[in-house]
This record gives sequence, structure tokens and C-alpha cells, in this order.
Amino acid sequence: MAEPELLLDSNIRLWVVLPIVFITFLVGVIRHYVSILLQSDKKLTLEQVSDSQVLIRSRILRENGKYIPKQSFLMRKFYFNNQEDGFFKKTKRKVVPPSPMTDPSMLTDMMKGNVTNVLPMILIGGWINWTFSGFVTTKVPFPLTLRFKPMLQQGIELLSLDASWVSSASWYFLNVFGLRSMYSLILGQDNGADQSRIMQEQMSGAAMAMPADTNKAFKAEWEALELTDHQWALESIEEELMSKELDLSGMFSRELPTGIF
Amino acid sequence: MATVSELYDVTWEEMRDKLRKWREENYRNSEQIVDVGEELINEHASKLGDDVWIIYEQVMIAALDCSRDDLAWTCLQELKRQFPDSHRVKRLAGMRLEALERYEDANKLYDSILQDDATNTAARKRKIAILKAQGKNTEAIRELNEYLEQFVGDQEAWHELSELYINEHDYAKAAFCLEELMMTNPHNHLYCEQYAEVKYTQGGLDNLELSRKYFAQALKLNNRNMRALFGLYMSASHIAASPKVSAKVKKDNVKYAAWAGAQINRAYQLAGRGTKENKCSVKAVEEMLESMQITMS
Repeated sequence: MAEPELLLDSNIRLWVVLPIVFITFLVGVIRHYVSILLQSDKKLTLEQVSDSQVLIRSRILRENGKYIPKQSFLMRKFYFNNQEDGFFKKTKRKVVPPSPMTDPSMLTDMMKGNVTNVLPMILIGGWINWTFSGFVTTKVPFPLTLRFKPMLQQGIELLSLDASWVSSASWYFLNVFGLRSMYSLILGQDNGADQSRIMQEQMSGAAMAMPADTNKAFKAEWEALELTDHQWALESIEEELMSKELDLSGMFSRELPTGIF
Repeated sequence: MATVSELYDVTWEEMRDKLRKWREENYRNSEQIVDVGEELINEHASKLGDDVWIIYEQVMIAALDCSRDDLAWTCLQELKRQFPDSHRVKRLAGMRLEALERYEDANKLYDSILQDDATNTAARKRKIAILKAQGKNTEAIRELNEYLEQFVGDQEAWHELSELYINEHDYAKAAFCLEELMMTNPHNHLYCEQYAEVKYTQGGLDNLELSRKYFAQALKLNNRNMRALFGLYMSASHIAASPKVSAKVKKDNVKYAAWAGAQINRAYQLAGRGTKENKCSVKAVEEMLESMQITMS
């Protein structure tokens, strides 16, 4: 079914399709710069920094403990996991889940996120719907079922029209998500115009970086460290080393670098 | 006086790239940095764009090393004008005060940074450096210990602490610090070798065995580490010469020492191909190895 059933006025292409692309793109760029201006510094407390480093150290001990002597490994394991006063047993951090109501900085962050992203999208989507209504804008290249009709053909009241023909509002939404890769090309990876990334963050933001996590993280590390054993990597190092001659190639090269360049 | 670009016939882009390489690899060739960097900022500042600020910082630290207070002052002024409220620039101002030996003023400056931002590691480390510069080793060690309790992941600090302990002859604690470094950098042969040297200095049969193992590890990571090779030879010889070891251990260590000696000889042969002076040093090494053999058995 590849024959074009409808022939659209080429003016539509010139005055509708391209302007919507430009508008979406420019609004995205503006959003990016506005988000940079409104960015607030995330201040970490000393305790958070310290805890994250302790967790890293414990992980390194588990992974690379085999390079240090057995005695040293046991000493550190004892320091962390001892029943009475091991670090992971003894340290309990104050658990204050940052709900949006009590934590003012999170509240302002949420507001800023909403203002810069959701609000413009709604406004511009509505404006485009109002301005460019009443006609078909473009055809999506794949066939759609009839259930998509009321969603994608907002202003057009034709029962017999194929659902593939969409209005300008849906073209706008297509652009919003499609231009994401353009943004990363032009604005760099971490740009504020990236809608879907922000929505993902909002969904997972509630689940990460809460202080209760520190206690759970400590407990998880304690368990993991309990299970770790010390397999000294240097057990038979001399035999391995002396099985062949040393590779001394390139040790005495004729040319020494002189000067700066 | 000829400029760097004339002497070496290089463009300003090559000079800028050289500075970046030195910056990324943490070189401390301050005189060269001052020569290259001074010309770059005097002649080509406009072409550098935003790179110029980091070059100012790099050149300023190098200028403090070379006692070029004039150059350091100009760099600091430019940075202060561009970044008036920056902690990073304040730290540079503090470093300049340290260079002028105005330690109390520098301390006050660092304290003000820490009041503003308690997690600022640079200011805390500078305060410890001041204690070290004033020769107060014990206080420096104490402060560094407290710092490391908060920031266990700071490898530069662990290394500095190990050096301070070595200066105080507290080898056990220095070994602890080096173990931290070995764990976080298991492929770095230099940490293994330094650890082995500390263990060797501590002495005692167990430590000698450990040192022999870690010299071997350093050699395994880098076959061309001559210091580790000599260390392997020395530790193996010492264990073999000790009266308290069993016959099997003695035999093993004699074997290790012989292997190490042979490798040393090989290395000197490789070095000594040709020139007459090198032939003498080859002979000297052979004689040294033979004399050690005699005292051993």
C-alpha cells in the first residue's frame, strides 16, 4: 500500500513542518542554557564524602586483598568487621529520608525541573496545536491502527482518514524526542535539554542517594567482606618469575631525549 | 635572549600541547614549565582561549618553585580578576604566601576556605604541607592521620604519610601505608618495590622473606627494574646467610640469589657492549657478586 493517497500542499512542508522543527530545536537549546543558569550547587557533607570513600576502600580490600600479606589483610578485615567495634558494625548514620516537603533544597530542585522542562513542553504543544490545527501535516511511514486516530489527529474530524496521517501536534512531539541525539551532538553529553533523560532521573531520583542507603550499604559491605578469603597472589612468585630469563629488551636505548622538545 | 620557540623551532600549539602533557602526567620540571609557559602567556595569550587559565595555574606553581615571585604574582592577579570568589584561586594565593614563608597568613587563608567548605581537600593538604615545611614532622603526621581518617581514598596522602613515617624510622606504619597503595594500584611495580625495601629495612627473617617476595613481584610487573633485581639478590643472600634457616630454605634462597646474580650480569653485559668504561663496570659487578657468594657460604 505504498501509493500516496493524499497529495499535500507543498506549502505545508515549508510553513509547518520546518518551522516546528526549528521551534522545537531552539526551545531545547534555550532550556539547556536556562537550566545551567538555574543550577544550584550540590553541597555534599563531609560525612557523605567520607562514607563513600570508606565503601570504596572496603571494596578494594575485597578485590585486591590478595596482593598484600595475609596478616595485613586480616588486620584490615578485623578493623572493618569485628563483632564489637568493627567499623561497619559500630557506625550508624542518622537516617533522615529527604521527603520533598521537609528538605527545602530538594523542593526547589523539583520545582526548577518542572519549570524548565514540563511547562514549556505543555505551553508550546498547546500553542502549536492551536496555530497549526485543522489540517494534516505529515504521514508516518508505518501503518497504525484506528485507535491512534484521536491521539494523533487532534484537529481533524475525518472518520475515513488513515491513521498514518498525523496532525502538527504529533509532529511536534515526534520532534521533541527525536532531536535528543541532535542535542547531544551540539550541546555535549550532559545537556539540560534532554527531556527523556530528565524524566528517567525524576523517576529514579526518588530511589537513590538517600541517607538510609548508607546503613544498608554498610551492611552489604560487611556481609561481602565476611565472605572474602585471602588467597595470596605471591605464593609461588619466585617460581613463576624464574621460569624464564628476564626480558631486558629496550633497557639501554641509544637515544636520550635532550631538551624540552 | 632567544625564546623557546626560536631555540627549538616550535609553534605555539606545540608548546601548549607540551604543557598539557606535563600537566596530565604530573611532571615537576618547573624551570622548563616556566620557560615555555611564560613565553606562551606573554606572546600568545589571546590565541589560547579558555586554556589560558589552567596554564596560568600551572605556570604559577612552577614559578613558585623557581622563586620567580614576579611571574607568580602576575599569574595570580590574572586568575583573581577572572575568578574572584574561587576556592581554587584562594589556595594558589595561600601557596604564594607559603613560598614567602608567611605561614600564619597562609594558615588563616586556608582556615577561611575550610570554614566555607568543609570538604575542601586541597586546603587541608596545604595546611599539612605547611607543618612539614616548618619541620614539625610529628604534628604533620598527626594531622595527616586525621585527614586520612576522613578521606581514606586519597592516594597522594597515603604516599606522603609513608614518606613521613620512613623519615621517622617508623617502618611498620610506613609499610601499612604502602599496603594501601599496593591494593589500589596492584600493577604499579614501584609501590611493590618500595614496600619490599621497607620490609628489608625492618629486618628479621619474616620481613626478609616478604621483601624477597615483593621484589620478585616488582620484577614480574616490570622486568627491567634493576633496583628490584638487586633487592631480590640481597634479600635472598641474606636469608641464605642467616644461621637460623632450615637447609631447604637455604638451598632455595641460594638458588634465587644465583638466578638474580646471573640476570644482573646479563644486564650489565647488555649495557657494556662496546665501550671500555662499561667493560670495567661489568667486571666490578662480577667481582661484587663473587665476594657476596664467599661471605654467604
